[in-house]
Amino acid sequence: MRFPSAKLLPCIAFALAAGLPSAAATKTVVCAVAATYTSLDPYDTNATLDQAVCKSFYQGLFGFDKNLRLQNVLADSYEASKDGLTYTVKLKKHVKFHDGTDFNAAAVKANFDRVTNPENKLKRYSLFSNIAKTEVVNDATVRFTLKVPFSAFINQLAHPSAAIISPAALAKYGKEIGLHPVGTGPFRFVEWKQPDYMKVEKSPNYWKKGYPKVDAIVWKSVTDNNTRTAMIQAGEASYTPVPFEQAENLKQNPRLDVISSPGIVTWYMSMNTAKKPFSDLRVRQALNYAINKEAMIKAIYYGYAEIAKGPVPGAVQYSANIGTYPFDLAKARKLLAEAGYPNGFETELWGGNNSTAAKAMTFLQQQLSQVGVKARITAQEPGQRVELLENVQKPEEAGVRLNWAGWSASTGEADWALRPLFATSSIPPKGLQNFAYYSNPKLDGLLQKALATTKAGEKTKIYKEAQEIIFKDAPWVFLVNTQQVYVRTKNLAGIYLMPDGSMNFDDIELK
Amino acid sequence: MFRYALKRLLGLIPTLFIVAIFVFFFIHLLPGDPARLAAGQEASAQDVELIRKDLGLDKPLPQQFLRFTSGALRGDFGKSMRTKRPVMTEIAERFPYTLNLTFAAMSWSVVFGLLVGIISAIHRNHLPDHLGMTLAVSGISFPSFALGLLLMSVFSVGLKWFPTVGADTPRHYILPAITLGAGVAAVMARFTRSAFLDVLKDDYIRTARSKGVAESMVILKHGLRNAMIPVVTMMGLQFGFLLGGSIVVERVFNWPGMGRLLLDAVDMRDYPVIQAEVLLFSLQFILVNLVVDLLYGIINPTIRYK
Repeated sequence: MRFPSAKLLPCIAFALAAGLPSAAATKTVVCAVAATYTSLDPYDTNATLDQAVCKSFYQGLFGFDKNLRLQNVLADSYEASKDGLTYTVKLKKHVKFHDGTDFNAAAVKANFDRVTNPENKLKRYSLFSNIAKTEVVNDATVRFTLKVPFSAFINQLAHPSAAIISPAALAKYGKEIGLHPVGTGPFRFVEWKQPDYMKVEKSPNYWKKGYPKVDAIVWKSVTDNNTRTAMIQAGEASYTPVPFEQAENLKQNPRLDVISSPGIVTWYMSMNTAKKPFSDLRVRQALNYAINKEAMIKAIYYGYAEIAKGPVPGAVQYSANIGTYPFDLAKARKLLAEAGYPNGFETELWGGNNSTAAKAMTFLQQQLSQVGVKARITAQEPGQRVELLENVQKPEEAGVRLNWAGWSASTGEADWALRPLFATSSIPPKGLQNFAYYSNPKLDGLLQKALATTKAGEKTKIYKEAQEIIFKDAPWVFLVNTQQVYVRTKNLAGIYLMPDGSMNFDDIELK
Repeated sequence: MFRYALKRLLGLIPTLFIVAIFVFFFIHLLPGDPARLAAGQEASAQDVELIRKDLGLDKPLPQQFLRFTSGALRGDFGKSMRTKRPVMTEIAERFPYTLNLTFAAMSWSVVFGLLVGIISAIHRNHLPDHLGMTLAVSGISFPSFALGLLLMSVFSVGLKWFPTVGADTPRHYILPAITLGAGVAAVMARFTRSAFLDVLKDDYIRTARSKGVAESMVILKHGLRNAMIPVVTMMGLQFGFLLGGSIVVERVFNWPGMGRLLLDAVDMRDYPVIQAEVLLFSLQFILVNLVVDLLYGIINPTIRYK
């Protein structure tokens, strides 16, 4: 159920509003987030939000700052071997888990041995399946050996799922660890009251002196957009992500800061390149020229988006800013005529069933109709999409033609922005998302080559070429990169919605 | 009456069994693979297979059905595929919230609906009737999410009288109960009015009036009692619906009840939770209907149970 409009919530100026009740005394911050949590075991969930709130109590060896730049967390430094197969990581010393046990190389090994063992059936198994073995060199040094060279390995370790859980807690709770998290983070777990909230409190023995600067955080799950907006206006929450259409409205409120920052979510319309008429490059180019992306940004995203300059959003590492297909109806019509479709054709357009998806698809349908392409829209709920897109066993049986979707490369690196979407090996049903059924051996080769090299300069060059190939072959209509928009009360600082939709709250502070 | 109730309760068993069979096979017919949904966008085929095994979905369907029914007989509905917690725990945590909210909504809406209905019937086609029925039509046609948001923006955001979300104190119940009860009150008002109008035409009312019974006694003693049968039926139905948890109201007020549980479960094709919830809904409906049937006998002693 989606609600049609935000206009039902008139924005009343709250000049009289005092600060948050109770917040000042104990420094408890209430953050309203958009979904319920499925698990607090970062290895057994794929929800960005689960992993984001898990950062309260869990930390990895590496992590991302608020701009998605790599930083050391529990690691002090690392060294990669020349062949890109082994990574030796030096660990921080004198770090303790919340249960009082020591963080050391053995703890790191225990965690990666756990996820790489298929018998544990963890949802993040394949993200770490490239690790052949994890060895303890000494108490503060650990060595990873990979099955094949993988140059984005440190980004993989910075992924929020690569958290270090207390081995003592793992032994104690076993499969129930998701309900009893014990980590090294700034906060320790207090309670998880499903489906209402999850509460964490300041860890007294946190290794980073002077942090955290608040006493507790309550992560409240509130699925409805309008309800979250009402909460922050009523002073019952201090932080919340907001939908684009409500941002302008909230800006009027003097107690609130509306913040927008670049995102790494790219929105696209894929075309099934294995089927007519999209097997013809001219048709694919024509569709790229036929969409007015500027208008789309205004109409659907209220300005909180940029035109996509190629397949990889700018905030992702090794993004190359290739360019755009300008809005040019004459050119689109000419290309369609050359391909043998002077009057256009009929086709299908698929997408999700939320309100933004519905609006975007209607917009695309209208744009396509200008060049005679009549697209029938089907808004699909998640179960249907899985069935019709991901579970298709043979490419010939694929019903997908145009598909409107978004992708966020959660490792912040080009590999995960390209391989799951464009590699031949990502064509269904092998998992992943190559719904364009795009297959280019040259691109596949480049993607493999990039993973095998650890030299940044060389990687930049390879990924640039890869992105150029994709842009030229146009398996997608490249559309927009959306921004992240969130609201904080003016007395709250140090919590950020990151480009990938995760959160960074290392410096969270109440003024 | 006791034997009748017992017989009806025994009749529950085959009904629930049939419902169980239908639910099981229907949800397995739904498109959408729970393993892949649980695995998420970034998962490889290997992950999906691991999850399928973990959830026990790799077993043949008859075997899964056997496991489900044998478990259900022992009161074990398995574990939620989404949260991996026992289904019974998930439901036990949420059911009280939905039950309390249902009582809160029903108690005001039934009283209000009856009053408006009776007054409208007595003053048929006059101002109180027009007013009451306008209110009732608005109550039915005003969508509950809009009403909920409106109440929230006025009373929580604007006036700060009530909290926006949460379910801990009686104050938290007020806005959701008003929102949830509005539709019920409207239905009850219209039903009471038409039942009353029917009754007021009957001979015994005329008899009562002509022998000089006070009008208030005519209405309350002769009228109300006889008009109650259809009204109680409607009340039972509404009660049964509300017990299922209102998805819309629970979403707007972030109410930790059964409606949101079902919504989450359907999205993720969380089979065990859907099965248990649907079974529970059926059970509730059957029980509520039984209570309604028994109430008939109290309202009208000429009704005999066989």
